[in-house]
Amino acid sequence: MRLTERQLAVLEAASATDERTVAEIGEETGLKPETVAGAAFDLADESLVEVASVTDEMLELTDEGRTYVDEGLPETRLYRAGLDAGADGDPVPMGAVIGDADLDGPEVDIALANFARKGFGSVDGGELSVAADADLDADPEATALAALDGVGGAGLDADDLNVEASVIDRLDSRGLLAVAESVTRTVTLTDDGVDALMTGVEASETVGALTPELLASGEWRDAEFAEYNVEAEAETARGGRKHVLRRTADRVKDVLVGMGFREMEGPHADADFWINDCLFMPQDHPARTHWDRFALDVDPTDEIPDELIGRVESAHREGWGEDGDGYHAPWSAEFAREVALRGHTTSLSMRYLSGVAGAELEPPQRYFSVEKVYRNDTLDPTHLLEFFQIEGWVMAEDLSVRDLMGTFEEFYRQFGITDIRFKPHYNPYTEPSFELFGEHPETGEEIEIGNSGVFREEVTGPLGVDCDVMAWGLALERLAMLTTGAEDIRDLHGTLADIDFLRNAEVSY
Amino acid sequence: MPVVDVDPEELRELTGHEDKDDEELKSDLFGLGLEFEGETDDGMFQFEFAPDRLDRLSVEGVARSLRYHYGDARGVYVPNTNDPKWTIEVEESVPDERPYVTGAVVRGLDLDEAALESLIQLQEKLHATMGRGRAKGAIGIHDLAMVKGAPLQEGAEPSITYRGVDPDGDAFVPLDSDDELTPAEVLTEHGTGETYAGLVADLDRYPTIYDELGLFSFPPVINGKRTEVTTGSRELFVELTGTDQWTIDRMCTIICYALSARGATIEEVEVNYADGATHPDEYGSELVRPNLDTDEKTVSHDRIETLLGVEFEPEEVVDCFERGGLDATYTLGEDVRYEVSIPPYRVDVLHPLDLVDDVGRAYGFDDLKPRYPDVGTVGGRHERSRLEDAVRTGLVGLGFEDLLNFHMTSGTENYDRMRVEPGTGGAAVDGAGVFGGGDPVKITEPYSEEYTQLRTWALPSLVMLLERNTHNAYPQDVAEVGFVAERDDDADTNVAESRHVAGAVARRDASYEAAKGRLQALCDDFDADLETPRTEHPSFIEGRAADVVVDGERVGVIGELHPAVLVEHDLEVPVATFEFALDALR
Repeated sequence: MRLTERQLAVLEAASATDERTVAEIGEETGLKPETVAGAAFDLADESLVEVASVTDEMLELTDEGRTYVDEGLPETRLYRAGLDAGADGDPVPMGAVIGDADLDGPEVDIALANFARKGFGSVDGGELSVAADADLDADPEATALAALDGVGGAGLDADDLNVEASVIDRLDSRGLLAVAESVTRTVTLTDDGVDALMTGVEASETVGALTPELLASGEWRDAEFAEYNVEAEAETARGGRKHVLRRTADRVKDVLVGMGFREMEGPHADADFWINDCLFMPQDHPARTHWDRFALDVDPTDEIPDELIGRVESAHREGWGEDGDGYHAPWSAEFAREVALRGHTTSLSMRYLSGVAGAELEPPQRYFSVEKVYRNDTLDPTHLLEFFQIEGWVMAEDLSVRDLMGTFEEFYRQFGITDIRFKPHYNPYTEPSFELFGEHPETGEEIEIGNSGVFREEVTGPLGVDCDVMAWGLALERLAMLTTGAEDIRDLHGTLADIDFLRNAEVSY
Repeated sequence: MPVVDVDPEELRELTGHEDKDDEELKSDLFGLGLEFEGETDDGMFQFEFAPDRLDRLSVEGVARSLRYHYGDARGVYVPNTNDPKWTIEVEESVPDERPYVTGAVVRGLDLDEAALESLIQLQEKLHATMGRGRAKGAIGIHDLAMVKGAPLQEGAEPSITYRGVDPDGDAFVPLDSDDELTPAEVLTEHGTGETYAGLVADLDRYPTIYDELGLFSFPPVINGKRTEVTTGSRELFVELTGTDQWTIDRMCTIICYALSARGATIEEVEVNYADGATHPDEYGSELVRPNLDTDEKTVSHDRIETLLGVEFEPEEVVDCFERGGLDATYTLGEDVRYEVSIPPYRVDVLHPLDLVDDVGRAYGFDDLKPRYPDVGTVGGRHERSRLEDAVRTGLVGLGFEDLLNFHMTSGTENYDRMRVEPGTGGAAVDGAGVFGGGDPVKITEPYSEEYTQLRTWALPSLVMLLERNTHNAYPQDVAEVGFVAERDDDADTNVAESRHVAGAVARRDASYEAAKGRLQALCDDFDADLETPRTEHPSFIEGRAADVVVDGERVGVIGELHPAVLVEHDLEVPVATFEFALDALR
C-alpha cells in the first residue's frame, strides 16, 4: 500500500487503543493541525482510521460578569444593604437601600428581579424585607462567576465548572457569561489500519516543490506531484495600492479631461486678493474674519499687478459697469495682499482668468483642478480642516444657465448620479447661482453635491474677461464617501487613517 | 446661513392665506429658497436661507415674499411716510470710529406678544448679518412715549442727541438691570455690556444718545430701561448708529417695512450732523430718514435671453419683474431695454445681472431645459500632476501603500518628535542644513495645538501614521507624494511650496538597504542617477544616514530612523525611510 508522506505520518501516529487528538498528532508529526485533519479524513475515506469529533462548550465571563465579580451581583449588594439597614427586622423603604447598595440605572431592575427569585427577601409596596437566613456563600451563580474569573481569558470547559446546567443557562440569559463552542477531532486506528501498518505501508515518492533541478534534469517526467489542498486558505498577498481618495480624484480628472477641461496649478498659500477680493467677497464678509481662514505669519505679498488691484478695488467700492453698485464696506490693498491658506481653489481660477498664471485666455476655454483647500471647521465624520475641492469652469461667449445645467448633468452622470436638481442659491461671486442636488445611487436620499453659477461681472470684469464664465465646485471627499461607502471621512484622509481601511477599501473605477 | 423663526399662524394671517396648512407653507417657502430646518420648543418654524434676501429675516418679510409668490401682490411697494417732527442732532463729540446715525418714528402700533418677539428677532438677525455683529450697524428701538425731546427754542421740533461722552461720566439704568451704571461700568458689570465691550472699549469717548432727561441709550451696547419697548408701546423711536450710513439706512428700511406690514405709520426724522461732526460725504450733513426711495437699473432684453437661454416677449419679462416685487418699463426698438425700479429693502441688487436672476426665479429655473454647450476645447492634465502620478504609480509597484496626509501639522510633530531643530535646514531651498529643518510657515492665531504650521517635510506624517497603526499587521510599507512648505522671503507669496516623495519601510527586518533598494528602483524608473554620500541627521542612526543626491544635486535624505524617534512614536520595529524633492525626477 502506498500513502502520501503526511498520510503515513498520521497513520503511524494514530493508536488503535487511544483516541488521539489532531493537536497531539500534529505535535508528534510536526504537521500543521489542518494538514493532520486533511490527511486523517483521507485515511478515514480508506477506512484506515476513524475520525470522531467532540464539541465542548467553553465558558467565558462577559464584561458585565467581570464587573459583578469585583463589585458583587446587584441582588447580593441589595441584600447586604438591606441587612445593614435592618430590613431583616422591619421592612424599610426601598429608595434608601438602593442608594446604599450603590445601584444605578438598569442595575436596579436586575437586583429586584433576582432578589426575590433567590429568596433573599421580598419587596412589597415600595418597602424591602430581607430574609435573615439567606446564605450568600451558597449562591451558585456567584460561585460560578468567581470560578470563571479565576481561569482568566482562556475560558473554562463547561464540564469542568462544577455547577448545574440550569445555573449556566441562567447566567447566559443574564448576559454574564458567553458560551463558545470548540470542536476537538480525535483519530483512532481501525482494524484495517492496524492491518495495513502490520503488512507495511510505503510513502509514495511525491514531489513537493518543483525545482530548477527537476526541470533541468528531466526528472519531472517520472515524478508524482504531491496533491495540494487547493481549497485551503492562503495568506493574502499585500502589495501597495494607490490611496482610495487619489483614485477617486483620478477618476474625476479622467472625466473632466474627457470633457475638454485642462488642469490648473497654483499656490496653496496665496494672497487674500486671489482667494477673496477677486471673488467680490467684501472685506468685512464674515467668512473673511480670522475665525474662518488660516492666516499665515509671512509678510504680505507684493507680487500682484497694481493695475489689477486698482480694478478690483474699484469693483468693490463703486461696482462694475454703468448700473453697478459697490459694497458699502471698507477695502484695503494691504488686507488683499495678506497671505493665507486658500479656502477654495477658485483662487486658481482667478489667477488663470486674469492671465497671471500664463497666457491671456481667449474664449472658449475649459479648466479644472482637484486640489486641496483649507477651512477652519470642526473636525467630525464629515468635515476636515483640509479637503479636496473639485473646481471647474467654462469660458465662452453667451453662456446660459441651460449650458451650465447641461455641463453639470453630463459630469455627474459619469458617476451614476442622474436627475440633478438645481436649487437657486446665492453666492457673492456668481449670479445666477445654484446648489446642485442629486440622488444617492444607493440610498436614494437627496444630497447636496455642489455649488455653481455664472461668475458676476464684478468678478470677470476686473480680470479683463469680457465673456461669460460659468463655474462649479464640489468636495471630492463627498463624492468619495458616496463611491466607497466610507462613513467617517477621517478614515480616508490624514495621519489618523487606518492602514487596514486603506488596504481593504474596494477599488473603484 | 441665516435662520428665521416664523410663527405659522402669523404667516397665515400676514399673507391672508388662512387656508394654507403647515406642509403647503413649507413647500411654498422651499420654492423661494427658505428651507425648513425644524421647529422650536414653542412651535416656531425655523427656515434657513442664503444671506442675500435680508428683508426675509422676519415673518413680515417672509409674508411679503409669499404674497408676491402667490400673485396677491405685484410690483414695487413703498410705504407712505409722514413728514418729520423729530430731529436727531449729531454732536461733534461723537467718536470718529462710529460717526453715523439714522432713524425713524413709528406710530399707531398695536404690538402683541408675537409681534414684539418678531421685532426683537429682526433686530438681532440684522445685527448678526448686515450689522456685522453690531460693529457696522446697531439698532436701538425705544418707546417714544418715554422719550422726552426738549425743543431748543419755543415752537421748534423735539429732538434727541447723538453724542460722545466720558466713559465714566453720566450714569443710566440699562435694560435687564436695576442699577445706575456709567457706560464704563456697563462694560464690566452688565452681561450684555461684557459681550459687546470689544466694540467700544478702545474709544476715548463712548457713543450715547440723550434726550431732555439725560442718557437713555448706549449704542451699540445696550438701551436704557426707561425707554424699553413693551406690548403696551404704541409709538416707537428707532435709532441706528454705525460705521456706514448706507448700511444703517438700509437696516432701518427693513425695520420700517416690517412695522408697516403690522399696520404702523412711518414718520420721517431729520438727522442733523453738526459742523465739525463727521457726516456721510454722499448725502451731506442734513438728512431726512428713512430713505425709502427706489433704485433704478437698466438691463437689456438680449442679456436676459442669452443668460437664461430662453426667448421672451417683453410683456413676459415685465410680468416676471412684477411678480418678483419690481417694476419695469421698456422701450420697443432694435435694442429692447428695461428700466427697472427696485424697492429699498432689496439690499442684494448690486448689478443688472441680479435682475436677470430675478427674472429667472420668477420664470422658474426648474422649467429650463439643460443643454450641453456647443463649445469645443482640448483637455489635458498639468505636467506636475502627471509627474506626481507617475511617481505614485512607481511607489505602489514597489509595494508601498500610498498615503494622503494633512499639510498642516504642529511644531512638536514636525520637529521635536523627529529630534530636528526648527530653522536648521532649508534643503528644499538652498541644499544646505538639516533636511526637514526649514523655517516654519506658521498659522497666525491657530485654534488647535495640533495644527499650528505647514509641514516642512513629509516624513513626520508617515511616522505619525505608523504610530497610529501599531495594532495592524506588519510589514507596513508606506509612501506619500505630497505638499510641503517653508518660509522663503524670495518666493512670490513668501512661502516656498514644493512636493516631496517620502517612503518608509516598517517591518521586523527593515534596514537601510531595504530603503535604498526601493529608492534606487524609483530613480531607475526615471533614468535619474542616485548617489548616497554619508551624512548626519538627528532623526537617523549615526552611520546609517545619507544624503539623497540625484543627478549631482542634494535633494533629500535616506536612513534608518533613530531608536529614540521610534520609541517616541511607540514603534517596536525598525523603520527605514527616504524623502526627497519630487522635482529631482523631472
